[in-house]
Amino acid sequence: MSRKVLLHVGTPKTGTSYLQDVLFRNREVLAAAGIAYPADRPDAHFLAALDLMQLPWGGLQAEAIGAWDALAERVRGHDGTAIISHEILATASRSQIGRALDSLGHNAGAEVHVVLSVRDLVRQIPAEWQENVKHRAQLGYGAFLDQVRDPERATRIGAWFWGVQEIPDILDRWGQELPPEQVHVVTVPPPGGAPEVLWKRFSQAFGLDGIDLDLEGERHNPSLGAPETTLLRRINRKANAELAPADYRPLVRELLAHQTLSRRTSSPRLALPPDLHPWVRELSASWIAELGARGYDVVGDLADLVGAPPVAEYADPDRPREKQVAAAAVDAITALLLDDARLRREEQRLREELADVRGALERAYATPSYRVRRALVVRLEGSGLGRGLLGAYRRARGRSSRSA
Amino acid sequence: MSTRRVYLHVGAPKTGTTYLQDRLALNAASLRGHGYRYPTGPHGDMFLAALDLLDRPWGGMRPQAEGEWDALVKRVRRARATVVLSHEILAGAKPHEAQRALSDLSFAEVHVVYSARDVARQVAAEWQEQLKHQRKVSFKTFLRQLRETDQRKATRWFWRVQGLPGVLERWGNGLPPARVHVVTVPRPGGRPEELWERFCAVLGIDPDWAPREGARRNPSIGRAESTLVRRVNARLKEAGLPSDQYRSLVRQLVVHETLATRPRMQPVTLPPDAYDWAEEVAQGWIDWVRGSGVDVEGDLEELRPVRPPADAVWQDPDRPRPRDVTSAAIDAIVALTLEAARRPDPDDTLTSRAAKLARHLRR
Amino acid sequence: MTAGAWAWVAHLRAGGTTPWQSWTSTDAADEGGYLPGAQQLELLRRLNVAGRPSPALVERVLTASAPGRGRPDLELVGVGEPRRFGPPAVDPAVLSDDELLRVATGLLAAELAAPVEMRDVAGDGPAGQPVSTSRRRPPRTRRFRTRYELAGDPWLAAAHTRQLTLDGRPPGGPGRSVHVLGSDLQTMLAHTWAAGSFGTGAPSWPDFLARVRARRRLPRRVDLPGVVERFGARPHTGRVGVVLDLAALPRLVGVRRLEPVPDVPAHATELARQVGAALSLHVVPAEQAELLASALLPRLARVAGPLPVVPAEHRDWVEDAAFGLRQQLLRARYPVVGDPDELLPTWSEPVEGSVLGLAIELLLEEAT
Repeated sequence: MSRKVLLHVGTPKTGTSYLQDVLFRNREVLAAAGIAYPADRPDAHFLAALDLMQLPWGGLQAEAIGAWDALAERVRGHDGTAIISHEILATASRSQIGRALDSLGHNAGAEVHVVLSVRDLVRQIPAEWQENVKHRAQLGYGAFLDQVRDPERATRIGAWFWGVQEIPDILDRWGQELPPEQVHVVTVPPPGGAPEVLWKRFSQAFGLDGIDLDLEGERHNPSLGAPETTLLRRINRKANAELAPADYRPLVRELLAHQTLSRRTSSPRLALPPDLHPWVRELSASWIAELGARGYDVVGDLADLVGAPPVAEYADPDRPREKQVAAAAVDAITALLLDDARLRREEQRLREELADVRGALERAYATPSYRVRRALVVRLEGSGLGRGLLGAYRRARGRSSRSA
Repeated sequence: MSTRRVYLHVGAPKTGTTYLQDRLALNAASLRGHGYRYPTGPHGDMFLAALDLLDRPWGGMRPQAEGEWDALVKRVRRARATVVLSHEILAGAKPHEAQRALSDLSFAEVHVVYSARDVARQVAAEWQEQLKHQRKVSFKTFLRQLRETDQRKATRWFWRVQGLPGVLERWGNGLPPARVHVVTVPRPGGRPEELWERFCAVLGIDPDWAPREGARRNPSIGRAESTLVRRVNARLKEAGLPSDQYRSLVRQLVVHETLATRPRMQPVTLPPDAYDWAEEVAQGWIDWVRGSGVDVEGDLEELRPVRPPADAVWQDPDRPRPRDVTSAAIDAIVALTLEAARRPDPDDTLTSRAAKLARHLRR
Repeated sequence: MTAGAWAWVAHLRAGGTTPWQSWTSTDAADEGGYLPGAQQLELLRRLNVAGRPSPALVERVLTASAPGRGRPDLELVGVGEPRRFGPPAVDPAVLSDDELLRVATGLLAAELAAPVEMRDVAGDGPAGQPVSTSRRRPPRTRRFRTRYELAGDPWLAAAHTRQLTLDGRPPGGPGRSVHVLGSDLQTMLAHTWAAGSFGTGAPSWPDFLARVRARRRLPRRVDLPGVVERFGARPHTGRVGVVLDLAALPRLVGVRRLEPVPDVPAHATELARQVGAALSLHVVPAEQAELLASALLPRLARVAGPLPVVPAEHRDWVEDAAFGLRQQLLRARYPVVGDPDELLPTWSEPVEGSVLGLAIELLLEEAT
């Protein structure tokens, strides 16, 4: 039975992917320090979260069947501290949370802590729209903002947004059975600070100080500028009906969004529209007051939730400078062309290799010799033909989990 | 025995030559029954033979063409019939190359056929052709360079193939004018069969002998699409894309199959101040034809550019609306994405074959 | 007012049907850790209105979480202090059918999956293998039978093949005749959608049509000339022909008569589709298809009602495509049994059936 369980339940876009990456890569170092991060694959906790919350996810749910119980069993089987982390857990319902806490041994002696990392809404709102667009959404920024501001939260988008972003409500649900000192709020520092500050806060909240961890890796989910996001949205509009999710992931999300468009860093960034700042300011102030009053353990500073003032020159992604969109589109075409060409070349190489082996095989039959055949097998395997290099290449390009 | 005749159709590019060649190929069997041959041999067309004669590098394809001209001549010699040869790059032959061709075919009565279209439309069409060969020149520069070059000196490919007097002086050298035929391309809006019928009239073919038509291609694109291709070319120059890949991905998939099918494109047209020049060029061609006494099928007046209405506002091909460029680009992105998605995963085909081989070997 | 809410829960547990807004009692009742969501409570009330849910079903409804994306569990309006955070509380009576349906389909899916999950826990039978719920012994194959294979319209082909196989006439064999079954294009599209909905999943009917249109290609199995060509190119295949007149099919496969294939009405297929989506959270796709076909379809086949109808905005292209099919079949001179004009659709007005009502019926059926 784990003595202590640290359950990191959100929120998206607060450096969670980086944290999960560090934890996954350092599993053995952590284990030596008595900390379990029970995962056999990088998205193990994502699958467990899908299973717990009964969420279909583009076919991935088949891999998620039974994943939560399996994870909980490993947590219960560990003697020491265990960490679970995935940001979509933030939306879990009270009954799901009850089930989760039970399965982790909450009423059987384990000390469960909930950790929530949080970032100001000035950054979270545009980031969440962008995440939607990277997942095939076709709606414009204005329409997104309208749905987010609808007090009924009647649409899927509004319900999801607040489900993963409304900090007091998330902690109401997740903290329902826990004393406030077992609830930890980690704030993301304001933009422009030193990048290692956030890691130090995570390290403190998870009790990782003093463990020699390898901290290499991407710190950020690459983000897109305003014209790039608009371009992606228009691509969704045209391609959605025809492009299967399994192809969208590697080609549009990975190749175009993450590897190509996110490199265009000089275009205007997505931002919260200036006229929404008063609303967001008021809302954030009420959250800060509430969280302060609840007596949670705050790592960082609740004032980080205030957010930056409005940007001087707001770029409305619904009315983009078409020149910038066109320029981004040319980059996208170039990337697709080069990728397609690379794929065809690789295909050609494999074809030639195969023809080669076939020829050698025929000669080998002419002069039957075990050694010649053996050499051929070795060569075939060395070429990657037997293993399917391209398949691996594609899979690597299309990581299946959503990081937010 | 009557004299054998060979009709050598040498261009010009962008005058519906592909359509004519397709139709000859599709109806080869029927035409054979009427004593006409279109001997492409093992290929679909006569491009390689023409390239062999011209001896140009052509994006690395020259080595493939080695010996193709002689092979074509051999096929012509063997055919006991009237033979039609056609490829539009032949128009660009240098004097000694044209001479060689004529002398190689001198066992027959050679007729040279040249189809010609008004120069204003040819300038726009040839500019797009350049873009489809990975060039990034602006329309403005392209036009300026043309205007600055003497078309008779033919230092530019455009004038080598489109400069009517030069082409026919090279190809007509030594032939009686009656064996040189100019076919003018009808103005847009006429009957689609008109050009084919004119061509048949020169060849002495009854148009009904060749009823099967290929696709009527209209590979021209608008100004936004042209600008997009220019920009992509510029980026590809930096990144480097092998020319065979460029042909299948950019020219075929992006330009011909995607951009050329976009609705409501704005055509590329000459700036108003260039029409005087174009008319002057046309007048020169018409005068040359009249003076030379060569055979004309069609109407020489069709070679004159059609001026836009006086109140029309000229749309600069180099400055399309950015919104249109984006829209064209998104079409291209979607086409390329779907193409990538369609490529069979070699994992399933090639590698499984390889794995089978490996299993076979281990036994 | 929390006491009132718990009292209402007790009322619903006891089979009560009073709507929340008319509820006034605050009698003492058992209180749990937290109140079930408004969706669960309203679904239970509707079940009570429609019949008598078993105690076990009542417990399952009250502890359910709706699968998939949508609104979170909502609180009852008028309970306790007005909330300052979280989604606003609601009057359960105004919840949309879709919200209640999410809970209901989740429960139906859990019910279908239960035998599989029990088996997996018990460890008999390898996980991931389709489980056959019909424990019937495979019928003895007849020695003398006509060799055939059915293709084309996936719904008809699968149903007739299943029926013939049960009769000891499995498809296949060298030199078999391939019968490509077809009907009017609207019906074939509806059948394709139904095959997906009862299979490994499909988009909603309007989305399905929009996708077919966007692809500018008919679904593979409905593209009858394409099917004929594909089968024609296979080795060991005999005659390949199109069958539009189903009355001729028994003779072609060598039986006296074939049971007609029941059509599942639009709203029942939509329910199957949603149950399938929820089922995908419990079992792998192959098992999902097997459970839907063997356990859910027989229950839904009894439901009366028309197939889905192509809405007006899609009729032009469906007509064009149907005409194109007819032309291709005529021009290619494939053997066709029946009149190629049968391919052309005739239009009728859609009839709306209540998906939620049907889900409630099914839940109650199981509970008794």
